[in-house]
Amino acid sequence: MKTVSKIIAVHSYKGGTGKTLLSVNLAAVLAKNGKKVCVFDLDFRAPSLFAILKAQNVEFWFNDYLNNTCDINKALIDLSSRIPGNGKFFASFANPATEAIRDMTSKDRKWEMRALGRLLALRESLLRDQKFDYLFFDTSPGIQYSSINAIVAADFVVVATTADRSDVDGTKRMLQELYNLFEKKTGLVLNKVLDSSATAKKPEMSAKVKAVYQVPMLGIVPCFCEILRAEGNLIFVQDKPDHPFTKIIAEMARKIDNNEVT
Amino acid sequence: MIKDELLTKKPLSILEKIEESLERLNEKMEIMIEIQKNGNGNQRSVPTLPDASLDVMTLLSMPDHLRKTAMVICRCGRATAEETAEQTRRARAVESAYLNQLVIMGYLKKERKGRKAYFYIDRETQG
Repeated sequence: MKTVSKIIAVHSYKGGTGKTLLSVNLAAVLAKNGKKVCVFDLDFRAPSLFAILKAQNVEFWFNDYLNNTCDINKALIDLSSRIPGNGKFFASFANPATEAIRDMTSKDRKWEMRALGRLLALRESLLRDQKFDYLFFDTSPGIQYSSINAIVAADFVVVATTADRSDVDGTKRMLQELYNLFEKKTGLVLNKVLDSSATAKKPEMSAKVKAVYQVPMLGIVPCFCEILRAEGNLIFVQDKPDHPFTKIIAEMARKIDNNEVT
Repeated sequence: MIKDELLTKKPLSILEKIEESLERLNEKMEIMIEIQKNGNGNQRSVPTLPDASLDVMTLLSMPDHLRKTAMVICRCGRATAEETAEQTRRARAVESAYLNQLVIMGYLKKERKGRKAYFYIDRETQG
Protein backbone atom coordinates (compact mmCIF):
# COMPACT_ATOMS: atom_id res chain seq x y z
CA MET A 1 0.00 0.00 0.00
CA LYS A 2 1.31 3.45 -0.95
CA THR A 3 1.84 5.92 1.89
CA VAL A 4 -0.06 9.17 1.37
CA SER A 5 2.22 12.20 1.29
CA LYS A 6 1.12 14.66 3.94
CA ILE A 7 4.09 17.02 4.10
CA ILE A 8 4.98 18.52 0.76
CA ALA A 9 8.06 20.64 0.14
CA VAL A 10 8.05 22.88 -2.94
CA HIS A 11 11.61 23.45 -4.07
CA SER A 12 13.66 24.51 -7.11
CA TYR A 13 17.25 24.96 -8.19
CA LYS A 14 16.86 28.59 -9.24
CA GLY A 15 14.72 31.42 -7.92
CA GLY A 16 11.68 32.72 -9.79
CA THR A 17 10.42 29.33 -10.91
CA GLY A 18 7.01 29.82 -9.27
CA LYS A 19 7.41 27.92 -5.98
CA THR A 20 5.26 30.29 -3.94
CA LEU A 21 2.60 30.50 -6.63
CA LEU A 22 2.45 26.69 -6.74
CA SER A 23 2.51 26.28 -2.92
CA VAL A 24 -0.28 28.78 -2.29
CA ASN A 25 -2.51 27.59 -5.11
CA LEU A 26 -2.04 23.87 -4.45
CA ALA A 27 -2.87 24.46 -0.78
CA ALA A 28 -5.82 26.71 -1.70
CA VAL A 29 -7.36 24.18 -4.08
CA LEU A 30 -7.07 21.44 -1.47
CA ALA A 31 -8.69 23.73 1.12
CA LYS A 32 -11.43 24.52 -1.37
CA ASN A 33 -12.00 20.75 -1.63
CA GLY A 34 -12.60 20.60 2.12
CA LYS A 35 -9.09 19.78 3.37
CA LYS A 36 -7.31 21.37 6.31
CA VAL A 37 -4.03 22.76 5.00
CA CYS A 38 -1.20 25.05 6.01
CA VAL A 39 1.47 26.80 3.92
CA PHE A 40 4.79 27.62 5.59
CA ASP A 41 7.22 30.18 4.23
CA LEU A 42 10.67 28.65 4.61
CA ASP A 43 12.32 31.16 2.32
CA PHE A 44 13.91 33.09 5.18
CA ARG A 45 16.29 34.92 2.84
CA ALA A 46 13.55 36.42 0.72
CA PRO A 47 10.18 36.04 2.48
CA SER A 48 7.25 36.57 0.12
CA LEU A 49 4.23 34.66 1.41
CA PHE A 50 3.49 37.45 3.86
CA ALA A 51 3.09 39.96 1.01
CA ILE A 52 1.28 37.59 -1.36
CA LEU A 53 -1.37 36.67 1.21
CA LYS A 54 -1.53 40.28 2.44
CA ALA A 55 -1.27 39.25 6.07
CA GLN A 56 -1.74 41.89 8.71
CA ASN A 57 -0.87 42.19 12.40
CA VAL A 58 1.29 39.08 12.50
CA GLU A 59 2.46 38.64 16.07
CA PHE A 60 4.47 35.45 15.75
CA TRP A 61 6.44 34.24 12.74
CA PHE A 62 7.55 30.80 11.68
CA ASN A 63 11.05 32.03 12.63
CA ASP A 64 9.82 32.20 16.25
CA TYR A 65 8.63 28.60 16.16
CA LEU A 66 11.98 27.43 14.77
CA ASN A 67 13.80 29.56 17.35
CA ASN A 68 11.76 27.73 20.01
CA THR A 69 10.31 30.97 21.33
CA CYS A 70 6.69 30.13 20.60
CA ASP A 71 4.30 27.25 20.16
CA ILE A 72 3.35 26.36 16.57
CA ASN A 73 -0.28 27.44 17.10
CA LYS A 74 0.84 31.00 17.80
CA ALA A 75 2.67 31.13 14.48
CA LEU A 76 -0.33 29.91 12.46
CA ILE A 77 -2.67 32.45 10.87
CA ASP A 78 -6.15 31.29 9.95
CA LEU A 79 -7.02 32.57 6.46
CA SER A 80 -9.92 30.18 5.86
CA SER A 81 -12.33 33.05 5.24
CA ARG A 82 -10.42 33.78 2.01
CA ILE A 83 -11.26 30.37 0.55
CA PRO A 84 -14.78 29.29 -0.39
CA GLY A 85 -16.10 26.04 1.06
CA ASN A 86 -15.68 24.23 4.36
CA GLY A 87 -11.95 23.62 4.19
CA LYS A 88 -9.36 25.28 6.41
CA PHE A 89 -6.49 27.36 5.06
CA PHE A 90 -3.69 28.41 7.40
CA ALA A 91 -0.34 30.06 6.79
CA SER A 92 2.82 30.60 8.80
CA PHE A 93 5.03 33.41 7.60
CA ALA A 94 8.75 34.04 7.44
CA ASN A 95 9.59 37.39 9.02
CA PRO A 96 10.44 39.88 6.22
CA ALA A 97 12.27 42.34 8.55
CA THR A 98 15.93 42.84 7.56
CA GLU A 99 17.09 42.03 11.08
CA ALA A 100 15.16 38.73 11.03
CA ILE A 101 16.63 37.82 7.62
CA ARG A 102 20.13 38.59 8.88
CA ASP A 103 19.48 36.49 12.01
CA MET A 104 18.19 33.50 10.02
CA THR A 105 21.13 33.55 7.62
CA SER A 106 23.69 33.44 10.42
CA LYS A 107 22.49 30.30 12.20
CA ASP A 108 25.01 27.56 12.98
CA ARG A 109 24.64 23.85 12.23
CA LYS A 110 23.49 23.01 15.76
CA TRP A 111 20.59 25.41 15.32
CA GLU A 112 19.82 23.92 11.91
CA MET A 113 19.81 20.46 13.47
CA ARG A 114 17.26 21.59 16.08
CA ALA A 115 15.25 23.34 13.37
CA LEU A 116 15.00 20.02 11.54
CA GLY A 117 13.72 18.48 14.78
CA ARG A 118 11.05 21.17 15.05
CA LEU A 119 10.00 20.69 11.42
CA LEU A 120 9.71 16.96 12.03
CA ALA A 121 7.68 17.63 15.18
CA LEU A 122 4.94 19.23 13.03
CA ARG A 123 3.98 15.73 11.96
CA GLU A 124 2.77 15.04 15.49
CA SER A 125 1.52 18.48 16.52
CA LEU A 126 -0.34 19.35 13.32
CA LEU A 127 -0.99 16.17 11.33
CA ARG A 128 -1.71 13.79 14.19
CA ASP A 129 -3.06 16.03 16.97
CA GLN A 130 -4.78 18.81 15.02
CA LYS A 131 -5.82 16.69 12.05
CA PHE A 132 -4.29 18.81 9.32
CA ASP A 133 -4.48 17.02 5.97
CA TYR A 134 -1.54 18.70 4.24
CA LEU A 135 1.41 20.91 5.13
CA PHE A 136 3.20 22.78 2.33
CA PHE A 137 6.78 24.01 2.81
CA ASP A 138 7.57 26.84 0.41
CA THR A 139 11.38 26.75 0.39
CA SER A 140 14.39 28.83 -0.64
CA PRO A 141 15.86 27.89 -4.02
CA GLY A 142 19.10 25.93 -4.28
CA ILE A 143 21.01 23.86 -1.79
CA GLN A 144 20.96 25.51 1.60
CA TYR A 145 20.11 24.45 5.13
CA SER A 146 16.50 25.60 5.40
CA SER A 147 15.59 23.97 2.07
CA ILE A 148 17.35 20.68 2.79
CA ASN A 149 15.74 20.57 6.25
CA ALA A 150 12.36 20.98 4.54
CA ILE A 151 13.17 18.26 2.01
CA VAL A 152 14.28 15.83 4.73
CA ALA A 153 11.14 16.53 6.79
CA ALA A 154 8.80 16.18 3.78
CA ASP A 155 7.13 13.07 2.38
CA PHE A 156 7.05 14.43 -1.15
CA VAL A 157 8.95 17.16 -3.00
CA VAL A 158 7.41 19.22 -5.79
CA VAL A 159 10.31 20.40 -7.92
CA ALA A 160 9.52 23.54 -9.89
CA THR A 161 11.65 24.10 -12.96
CA THR A 162 11.66 26.06 -16.21
CA ALA A 163 13.09 25.41 -19.66
CA ASP A 164 16.04 27.72 -18.95
CA ARG A 165 19.29 25.85 -19.73
CA SER A 166 21.01 26.62 -16.42
CA ASP A 167 17.85 25.64 -14.55
CA VAL A 168 17.62 22.32 -16.43
CA ASP A 169 21.25 21.40 -15.68
CA GLY A 170 21.06 22.51 -12.04
CA THR A 171 17.77 20.74 -11.44
CA LYS A 172 19.10 17.50 -12.95
CA ARG A 173 22.16 17.66 -10.71
CA MET A 174 20.05 18.47 -7.67
CA LEU A 175 17.74 15.52 -8.35
CA GLN A 176 20.70 13.16 -8.57
CA GLU A 177 22.83 14.57 -5.79
CA LEU A 178 20.22 15.62 -3.28
CA TYR A 179 16.83 13.97 -3.62
CA ASN A 180 18.23 10.58 -4.60
CA LEU A 181 20.53 10.54 -1.59
CA PHE A 182 17.58 11.17 0.70
CA GLU A 183 15.41 8.73 -1.28
CA LYS A 184 12.68 11.35 -1.66
CA LYS A 185 9.52 10.94 -3.67
CA THR A 186 9.46 13.77 -6.21
CA GLY A 187 7.09 15.25 -8.77
CA LEU A 188 8.35 17.69 -11.37
CA VAL A 189 6.46 20.79 -12.47
CA LEU A 190 7.66 22.39 -15.67
CA ASN A 191 6.55 25.99 -15.28
CA LYS A 192 6.38 28.99 -17.61
CA VAL A 193 6.32 26.92 -20.79
CA LEU A 194 6.32 29.36 -23.69
CA ASP A 195 5.00 26.98 -26.35
CA SER A 196 1.30 27.84 -26.53
CA SER A 197 0.43 24.35 -27.75
CA ALA A 198 2.08 22.79 -24.69
CA THR A 199 -1.23 21.69 -23.25
CA ALA A 200 -2.28 20.02 -26.49
CA LYS A 201 1.05 18.21 -26.75
CA LYS A 202 1.06 17.35 -23.06
CA PRO A 203 1.65 13.56 -23.28
CA GLU A 204 4.58 14.03 -25.72
CA MET A 205 6.08 16.82 -23.69
CA SER A 206 5.58 14.97 -20.44
CA ALA A 207 7.44 11.93 -21.80
CA LYS A 208 10.26 14.17 -23.05
CA VAL A 209 10.63 15.92 -19.68
CA LYS A 210 10.46 12.60 -17.83
CA ALA A 211 13.26 11.28 -20.04
CA VAL A 212 15.46 14.29 -19.26
CA TYR A 213 14.93 14.37 -15.49
CA GLN A 214 14.16 10.70 -14.80
CA VAL A 215 11.49 11.57 -12.24
CA PRO A 216 7.66 11.50 -12.33
CA MET A 217 5.86 14.54 -13.77
CA LEU A 218 3.30 16.36 -11.69
CA GLY A 219 2.34 18.88 -14.33
CA ILE A 220 3.19 21.32 -17.12
CA VAL A 221 2.20 24.96 -16.67
CA PRO A 222 2.17 27.30 -19.69
CA CYS A 223 3.27 30.88 -19.24
CA PHE A 224 0.10 32.89 -18.61
CA CYS A 225 0.16 36.67 -19.06
CA GLU A 226 -2.59 36.98 -16.42
CA ILE A 227 -0.25 35.50 -13.81
CA LEU A 228 2.48 37.98 -14.70
CA ARG A 229 -0.03 40.85 -14.68
CA ALA A 230 -1.36 39.83 -11.27
CA GLU A 231 2.17 40.44 -9.88
CA GLY A 232 1.62 37.90 -7.13
CA ASN A 233 -1.54 39.57 -5.91
CA LEU A 234 -3.93 36.72 -6.52
CA ILE A 235 -4.75 33.32 -5.15
CA PHE A 236 -5.69 32.17 -8.65
CA VAL A 237 -7.82 29.20 -7.67
CA GLN A 238 -9.95 31.55 -5.59
CA ASP A 239 -9.99 34.70 -7.71
CA LYS A 240 -10.14 33.08 -11.15
CA PRO A 241 -11.77 29.67 -10.70
CA ASP A 242 -12.31 29.15 -14.44
CA HIS A 243 -8.82 30.12 -15.55
CA PRO A 244 -6.79 27.33 -17.27
CA PHE A 245 -4.07 27.75 -14.61
CA THR A 246 -6.62 26.93 -11.91
CA LYS A 247 -7.58 23.77 -13.79
CA ILE A 248 -3.94 22.68 -14.08
CA ILE A 249 -3.39 23.28 -10.35
CA ALA A 250 -6.59 21.37 -9.52
CA GLU A 251 -5.32 18.40 -11.53
CA MET A 252 -1.96 18.49 -9.70
CA ALA A 253 -3.76 18.65 -6.34
CA ARG A 254 -5.94 15.72 -7.35
CA LYS A 255 -2.82 13.67 -8.19
CA ILE A 256 -1.26 14.54 -4.82
CA ASP A 257 -4.48 13.79 -2.94
CA ASN A 258 -4.92 10.44 -4.69
CA ASN A 259 -1.23 9.62 -4.49
CA GLU A 260 -1.06 9.30 -8.27
CA VAL A 261 2.27 10.91 -9.13
CA THR A 262 3.95 8.38 -11.39
CA MET B 1 26.08 -22.45 35.27
CA ILE B 2 23.72 -22.31 32.29
CA LYS B 3 22.87 -25.94 33.03
CA ASP B 4 21.84 -25.02 36.59
CA GLU B 5 19.73 -22.16 35.27
CA LEU B 6 18.07 -24.45 32.76
CA LEU B 7 16.79 -26.53 35.62
CA THR B 8 15.28 -23.57 37.46
CA LYS B 9 14.25 -21.03 34.79
CA LYS B 10 12.20 -21.11 31.62
CA PRO B 11 14.25 -21.76 28.46
CA LEU B 12 12.82 -18.61 26.80
CA SER B 13 14.21 -16.27 29.43
CA ILE B 14 17.59 -17.98 29.15
CA LEU B 15 17.55 -17.52 25.39
CA GLU B 16 16.71 -13.85 25.86
CA LYS B 17 19.62 -13.54 28.26
CA ILE B 18 21.93 -15.16 25.73
CA GLU B 19 20.66 -12.80 23.02
CA GLU B 20 21.29 -9.83 25.27
CA SER B 21 24.82 -11.03 26.04
CA LEU B 22 25.51 -11.56 22.35
CA GLU B 23 24.29 -8.06 21.59
CA ARG B 24 26.59 -6.56 24.20
CA LEU B 25 29.46 -8.66 22.84
CA ASN B 26 28.64 -7.43 19.34
CA GLU B 27 28.72 -3.82 20.51
CA LYS B 28 32.10 -4.35 22.19
CA MET B 29 33.48 -5.89 19.01
CA GLU B 30 32.25 -2.93 16.97
CA ILE B 31 33.98 -0.56 19.37
CA MET B 32 37.20 -2.60 19.11
CA ILE B 33 36.97 -2.54 15.30
CA GLU B 34 36.50 1.23 15.40
CA ILE B 35 39.51 1.62 17.75
CA GLN B 36 41.65 -0.49 15.41
CA LYS B 37 40.53 1.52 12.38
CA ASN B 38 41.55 4.75 14.08
CA GLY B 39 44.87 3.33 15.26
CA ASN B 40 44.05 3.90 18.91
CA GLY B 41 45.03 0.44 20.10
CA ASN B 42 46.26 1.68 23.48
CA GLN B 43 43.25 3.81 24.15
CA ARG B 44 40.94 2.30 26.75
CA SER B 45 37.98 4.60 26.43
CA VAL B 46 35.44 4.46 23.61
CA PRO B 47 36.46 6.91 20.88
CA THR B 48 33.15 8.74 20.89
CA LEU B 49 33.10 12.24 19.47
CA PRO B 50 31.10 14.29 21.95
CA ASP B 51 28.17 16.27 20.55
CA ALA B 52 28.76 15.70 16.86
CA SER B 53 25.69 17.25 15.25
CA LEU B 54 23.57 15.19 12.90
CA ASP B 55 22.46 18.04 10.66
CA VAL B 56 21.38 17.67 7.02
CA MET B 57 24.81 18.54 5.59
CA THR B 58 26.36 15.80 7.75
CA LEU B 59 23.67 13.41 6.51
CA LEU B 60 24.55 14.34 2.93
CA SER B 61 28.24 13.62 3.48
CA MET B 62 27.66 10.20 5.08
CA PRO B 63 28.17 6.94 3.24
CA ASP B 64 24.86 5.64 1.84
CA HIS B 65 24.52 2.71 4.26
CA LEU B 66 24.87 4.93 7.35
CA ARG B 67 22.69 7.71 5.93
CA LYS B 68 19.83 5.29 5.45
CA THR B 69 20.01 4.28 9.13
CA ALA B 70 20.51 7.85 10.38
CA MET B 71 17.50 9.06 8.36
CA VAL B 72 15.23 6.64 10.19
CA ILE B 73 16.34 7.97 13.58
CA CYS B 74 16.01 11.52 12.24
CA ARG B 75 12.40 10.87 11.28
CA CYS B 76 11.38 8.78 14.31
CA GLY B 77 13.44 10.63 16.89
CA ARG B 78 14.01 7.39 18.77
CA ALA B 79 14.04 3.75 17.69
CA THR B 80 15.45 0.29 18.43
CA ALA B 81 17.54 -1.66 15.91
CA GLU B 82 14.49 -3.79 15.19
CA GLU B 83 12.26 -0.77 14.47
CA THR B 84 14.98 0.73 12.26
CA ALA B 85 15.32 -2.57 10.37
CA GLU B 86 11.57 -2.59 9.70
CA GLN B 87 11.90 0.71 7.86
CA THR B 88 15.15 0.09 6.01
CA ARG B 89 14.22 -3.54 5.21
CA ARG B 90 17.68 -4.66 6.19
CA ALA B 91 18.58 -7.25 8.84
CA ARG B 92 18.27 -6.24 12.49
CA ALA B 93 21.90 -7.24 13.17
CA VAL B 94 23.06 -4.99 10.32
CA GLU B 95 21.07 -2.04 11.70
CA SER B 96 22.40 -2.73 15.18
CA ALA B 97 25.96 -2.49 13.83
CA TYR B 98 25.26 0.75 11.93
CA LEU B 99 23.43 2.33 14.87
CA ASN B 100 26.27 1.52 17.23
CA GLN B 101 28.70 2.95 14.70
CA LEU B 102 26.69 6.19 14.67
CA VAL B 103 26.83 6.22 18.49
CA ILE B 104 30.61 5.78 18.37
CA MET B 105 30.84 8.63 15.85
CA GLY B 106 28.92 10.82 18.31
CA TYR B 107 25.83 11.39 16.14
CA LEU B 108 23.41 9.29 18.17
CA LYS B 109 22.89 8.52 21.83
CA LYS B 110 21.98 5.14 23.20
CA GLU B 111 19.86 4.25 26.17
CA ARG B 112 19.02 0.81 27.56
CA LYS B 113 15.58 0.09 28.95
CA GLY B 114 15.33 -3.48 30.16
CA ARG B 115 16.39 -5.68 27.30
CA LYS B 116 15.85 -3.05 24.64
CA ALA B 117 18.42 -0.53 23.44
CA TYR B 118 16.99 2.74 22.10
CA PHE B 119 18.92 5.02 19.77
CA TYR B 120 18.08 8.70 19.55
CA ILE B 121 19.30 12.15 18.55
CA ASP B 122 19.80 14.43 21.50
CA ARG B 123 18.85 17.64 19.67
CA GLU B 124 18.20 19.76 22.72
CA THR B 125 21.43 19.22 24.65
CA GLN B 126 23.82 18.98 21.70
CA GLY B 127 25.77 22.14 21.25
